[in-house]
Amino acid sequence: MVVGGGIAGIQASLDLVSSGYLVHLVEKAPAIGGLMSALDKTFPTNDCAM
Amino acid sequence: MEGIEGHAGRFTVTLREHPRFVDINKCIACGVCAEKCPRKVEDAFNEGLNKRKAAYVQYPQAVPLKYAIDADHCIYFEKGKCRACEKFCPAGAIDFNQNERIFTIEVGSVVLALGARHLDPSAIEEYGYSTFPNVITGMQMERILSATGPYQGRLVRPSDGQPPKKIAWIQCVGSRSTGATAHEYCSGVCCMYAIKEAVIAKEHAGRDLDAAIFFMDMRTHGKEFERYYRRAESELGVRFIRSRVHSVESSAPGSDSLKVRYADDTGAEAEEIFDLVVLSNGLETSNEVRELADRLGVAVDENGFVKTACLSPLETSRKGIFVCGSVANPADIPQAVMEASAASSAAARLLAKARGSQVREKEYPAEKPIDPAEIRVGVFVCHCGINISSVVDVTEVRDYAKTLPGVVYSTDNLFSCSQDTQQTIRDAVTEHRLNRVVVAACTPRTHEPLFQETIREAGLNPYLLEFANIRDQDAWVHQGCPEEATVKAKDLVRMAVSKVTFSEPVERLQITMHKSALVVGGGVAGMTAALGLAEQGFPVHLIERNGNLGGNARNIRATWKGEDVRSYVEELSKRVIAHPDINVLLNARIESVSGFVGNFLSRVRKGGRSEEISHGVAIISSGGGFYKPEEYLYGQHERVTCWHELEDLFEKEPERLQRAEAVVLIQCVGSRDEDRPYCSRLCCTASLQQAVTLKTRKPDLEVYVLYRDLRSYGLREELYRKARELGVIFFRYTPENKPAVSAYEGTRGKLNVTVQDHVLNIPISLDVDYVNLFSAILPQTDNDLPHLFKVPTNTDGFFLEAHAKLRPVDFSTEGVFVCGLAHYPKPIEESIAQAEAASSRAAGLLARGTIEVEPVVSVIDQERCVGCGFCEASCPFGAVKLVAVAGKGFRAENIPALCKGCGICAAGCPQKAIDIYHFRDNQILASVQAGGETTREAKASSRPSPAARVTFVSGYLMRRDCMYHVGHTWIERMKGGRLRIGVDDFAGKILGPVDRLNLPPRGEVLRQDRKGWSFLRASRRAPFLSPVTGKVFDINLDAVSHPENVLKDPYGDGWLLVVEPKGSEAELKHLLYGEAGFRWMEEENRKLLELLGPEYERLAASGGGAVEDVFGIRPEIGWETLVKTFLRTEV
Amino acid sequence: MNDEFQPRIIAFLCNWCAYAGADLAGVSRIQYPPTIRVVRILCSGRVDPLYVVKGLQSGFDGVLVSG
Repeated sequence: MVVGGGIAGIQASLDLVSSGYLVHLVEKAPAIGGLMSALDKTFPTNDCAM
Repeated sequence: MEGIEGHAGRFTVTLREHPRFVDINKCIACGVCAEKCPRKVEDAFNEGLNKRKAAYVQYPQAVPLKYAIDADHCIYFEKGKCRACEKFCPAGAIDFNQNERIFTIEVGSVVLALGARHLDPSAIEEYGYSTFPNVITGMQMERILSATGPYQGRLVRPSDGQPPKKIAWIQCVGSRSTGATAHEYCSGVCCMYAIKEAVIAKEHAGRDLDAAIFFMDMRTHGKEFERYYRRAESELGVRFIRSRVHSVESSAPGSDSLKVRYADDTGAEAEEIFDLVVLSNGLETSNEVRELADRLGVAVDENGFVKTACLSPLETSRKGIFVCGSVANPADIPQAVMEASAASSAAARLLAKARGSQVREKEYPAEKPIDPAEIRVGVFVCHCGINISSVVDVTEVRDYAKTLPGVVYSTDNLFSCSQDTQQTIRDAVTEHRLNRVVVAACTPRTHEPLFQETIREAGLNPYLLEFANIRDQDAWVHQGCPEEATVKAKDLVRMAVSKVTFSEPVERLQITMHKSALVVGGGVAGMTAALGLAEQGFPVHLIERNGNLGGNARNIRATWKGEDVRSYVEELSKRVIAHPDINVLLNARIESVSGFVGNFLSRVRKGGRSEEISHGVAIISSGGGFYKPEEYLYGQHERVTCWHELEDLFEKEPERLQRAEAVVLIQCVGSRDEDRPYCSRLCCTASLQQAVTLKTRKPDLEVYVLYRDLRSYGLREELYRKARELGVIFFRYTPENKPAVSAYEGTRGKLNVTVQDHVLNIPISLDVDYVNLFSAILPQTDNDLPHLFKVPTNTDGFFLEAHAKLRPVDFSTEGVFVCGLAHYPKPIEESIAQAEAASSRAAGLLARGTIEVEPVVSVIDQERCVGCGFCEASCPFGAVKLVAVAGKGFRAENIPALCKGCGICAAGCPQKAIDIYHFRDNQILASVQAGGETTREAKASSRPSPAARVTFVSGYLMRRDCMYHVGHTWIERMKGGRLRIGVDDFAGKILGPVDRLNLPPRGEVLRQDRKGWSFLRASRRAPFLSPVTGKVFDINLDAVSHPENVLKDPYGDGWLLVVEPKGSEAELKHLLYGEAGFRWMEEENRKLLELLGPEYERLAASGGGAVEDVFGIRPEIGWETLVKTFLRTEV
Repeated sequence: MNDEFQPRIIAFLCNWCAYAGADLAGVSRIQYPPTIRVVRILCSGRVDPLYVVKGLQSGFDGVLVSG
């Protein structure tokens, strides 16, 4: 079980499932994404955070 | 998460699921509920800068993209009525009967990725956050800058919606401070986000925008951060003001602007006015997280962060519960992502025996064979509730699709993606024997996999599906013009049908995985990665070029939290050597690497022998070293040392420390300069640690730290505080005014260090016993690894990961990973986490016997290839290479496992020997051709009408755009250069109704001014001169069987021949065109009237008028005369 | 119907960026002229000069390559 669906929780879930484990991802908000989804861009490349 | 029981490997977790009041299986994210919802609520996602509805989607790209009802603000929940959303939802997805659900699940391990929140600056009264609308937080600035934010990406300030001309960022709001409203630790991320916001703000508003950042120490310690900082300052003109801000006030009564009052670098008071002030507020854990940690029995530190140790950075105090990201320490994105992979590795290791026991593999029916000659396309047009059908006439599109070639079935669905429609599609495939499917609906980016799955379940290869995007790229963007939108939808369907006609089944591409790993470098990172894999059951070859394991860590005494590193490294080395699945090769080097993910073959030289190792993945942990300074008398004076050398000296000769009175530690030696414009990240913490240790061991020792910016990021700030408390003295220096070190006597005595004091602005002279230098961390460059593994490095020589934020340990070359100092300077706890992350990413591949890769890859026709190598040179993924073919030189060969299907090779191939599955040239070209159809039709109808193209000359029809030959034939140039030929209206009218056309066969060569063909009228022959030289390409068989057409429609249905011209261009100059032709026709008419005699003179006087069937009405003129005079031939 | 020239455009859009951008324009309900036809490709590097010529030959007035 991964608690929290921000960028860390998403990555942990993806890694676990590709390693062959069933994952329960628990998130309190109606959508995953967490803080990172609210960022505009990311440095140093100024890529869209979304 | 309500609670947890049990133990590592077998937990029972109780969860409370809050109702969302929307059935996510039915919701189509059309947004009607939000549109109809009458209740406006502050939009938390946009940090309260605007309103959303109580029926809402968290953000436009939310996953899942499903709406929710905010029960805390919903009118129905408040007053018992409304339910507007329910009434209007086209999908019937609103469900007010949903209830909270409490349930338990069984899990083996738990990863806490709870994150952190931004501190609320309201309590810090001096910054005026709750008083002034134009004082905002860093996150609010993010939302303002975002295109999906409250102002659609326009940079304006909240009070009046005006664009600010001056913006200030105030750093360390709530961080690195004392008091009830703040935290002592550094939040680690704010310096970079402030710089980024300033840079983006300048991009939005232009260079004239004044951006100023008020800071104490600029902490740009991450990879490429220092360069970003320098660029912001020198190129973009962001002002960096080293200062302490004490308050933000209104600039003047009635003004929305703000006065920032601060003390500058020298302690002098100053103030400046800004239009907008951004508070770079730090990160903190919430009470909710503390309470949860409490319920889980997980220990937190005094700041509320989950407690971890440096040498086991992912483990909490409760076994089986792991942690990653900002819940354990303030982390930026790459750190959080790295730790996430690491935590997953730790969690996986615990459950290694259960791997694969619960994941389910789906089964599909066998694919039906496709008869390439029989095209049977089914088209499914989606209404998407009313999303598409409110703009596009869906039934018209459906009916139109039926008329397209190859389409045998077409229907429309209310929701194509719904469960029942999926079944309808599968049934239709069977019933109508469809072998290709077109879905006209939303976007393939989200829904193509679903429909590919659907047809796969119906026994079709998934690549026999094509999508027409008639929602996102049609109905939604052309709401004001339904007719054109419908035309576009039809075009898009026609394009998809044309493309799918050429589609072929694409076979799944599977690569067998050699289930072992090669780890390059036996430092802490390499050993951790090797153990991480071996403990999950994968064999590892660990290559170390030195004679022992441990690398740089062997020189480290303790972590910043005080754990003993030397015994840890010793213990780790023992475990690695003892592990049966780890093959340790010391004094070994890699000579060559070939192959690709799953199937690498490396040659390793050890001693005099070399051996070949097969491996599925590789992890590069080749480490780094430190710069050997040439400055500050290093290497010339025995009391000038570097890094751990001072500690080594004191350990060997403790009396030296006993006798010493003062020590200077100098930072940034060879870092952050022109040669190495990066921050070495770990030196500040290491020097603080050393200062604290020295001061603790010998409290009367004077310890000076000379620094540029003190970068004790995150929780390491605690060391800085401790050092100051212990009396360590800090002097800041600038690169323009570096400290100077000189020796008093010889190379063994005391030293003098002078440094400019930035507050007093005078040089300070220090007599000291030892100078220890913290020099730059360097990448290991004396190896060939970048070349061997075909992986890139950055300009500083550190390995370059696939993505700075989201793939921090992957290379873009699949199956190769990086960790430790080889990636960037980092402290041991981060190296350990990164190594765990690399092993997690590697295990994700190794766990599978085969890996399935996207089969949309290049396909090379070696018969066409000439071996020019352009493809190999242009492929960004190394997926094409030249191979020697006996007798032919070189030919290109693709490596599907590496290919991403981008098609750069195909576009560049001069021989057209390369194509891409599913995006073949013929598929794309067919699509383009089909896309242009309506345009072509529209253009044809807007061309000059036939009426405008023709004219009457002396009563005879003539075409303005044709050339004429004096033998009364016309010539039309066709696209591509062929010529269409017929006889003119005049010839038709003098000969009258002919009953036979003797046209030359296809392929016959005609010559200009020689007899080309003839007409017969009741056995009278009328030969015509060929107007051009050329080969007959086509003849009008319709006219042959309907000779009357020649008279009725000489320029249309009455055309005779299409000729491939073989003559010179000069031939065409003999032909008549435009005015010359009209004058010739008038002359011919005059000649005819002369032959007809006086009866027709009136006609001649009036300038013309055609006579029909001249031979019929005046046979006495004679057939021969008419032919000779006008056709210029002999009967 | 106004007589102003409305170019008809064929667009080759990269699946990973420009095509996603066109979708986002839809999600954001940004309105633009209905005279553009999109061909989805996996990379703008896929665009053979032939495609551009074919686009013009097929009747389009302009070709947009975005990625």
